[in-house]
Amino acid sequence: MTTALLVVGGLIVGIGVAMGGGCTSGHGICGMSRFSLRSITATMAFLISGIVTVYFVKLFLGASA
Amino acid sequence: MKIIMIALMAGVIFGVGLALSGMVDPNKVINFLDVTGHWDPSLMFVLGGGVITTTLAYQFIFAQGKPLFDDDFHLPTLLKIDAKLLLGAVLFGIGWGLIGYCPGPAVASLGFRPGEPLIVVVSMLAGMLLYRTVAKT
Repeated sequence: MTTALLVVGGLIVGIGVAMGGGCTSGHGICGMSRFSLRSITATMAFLISGIVTVYFVKLFLGASA
Repeated sequence: MKIIMIALMAGVIFGVGLALSGMVDPNKVINFLDVTGHWDPSLMFVLGGGVITTTLAYQFIFAQGKPLFDDDFHLPTLLKIDAKLLLGAVLFGIGWGLIGYCPGPAVASLGFRPGEPLIVVVSMLAGMLLYRTVAKT
């Protein structure tokens, strides 16, 4: 995992959690446990997005990490 | 002061959980997202276990009317499922899929893994700051 990828990935994660108001802990655990529709939706969105991202990264680079 | 000690304790428990469950290993995370390849379902059980625990705990503590160590609950109040939420979640998922780190594990890894986590944490903070700054305009 190159430094460039870590920086770009980290930036995107930072922007995403600030915009979306949470992450796996915030929406995934705290939000879903309160039955928050916002959190359940957000969690499904980032799970799908993460899965699709890994799929295409593997497809184009032949590696998942 | 009490709040700080409680927060510290909660953080330690959370960090131990992350480390014990292997969620601090970006490869384990990426392999969970790699559903068509080397699928590792571990993360699903960690998330599931966490949700079950917190759901039960919330039911109990909400019934008490106040948290154990504070006078009021401080819960999010937003209800609308809007573009910000969805786009933010999608972006988070992209970054997460690219590097296998999200905020909790990245910070927890600072304690024992040199290099990567520090770059990731600094970049995440920069991203959050960038968004907050732009969002204000």
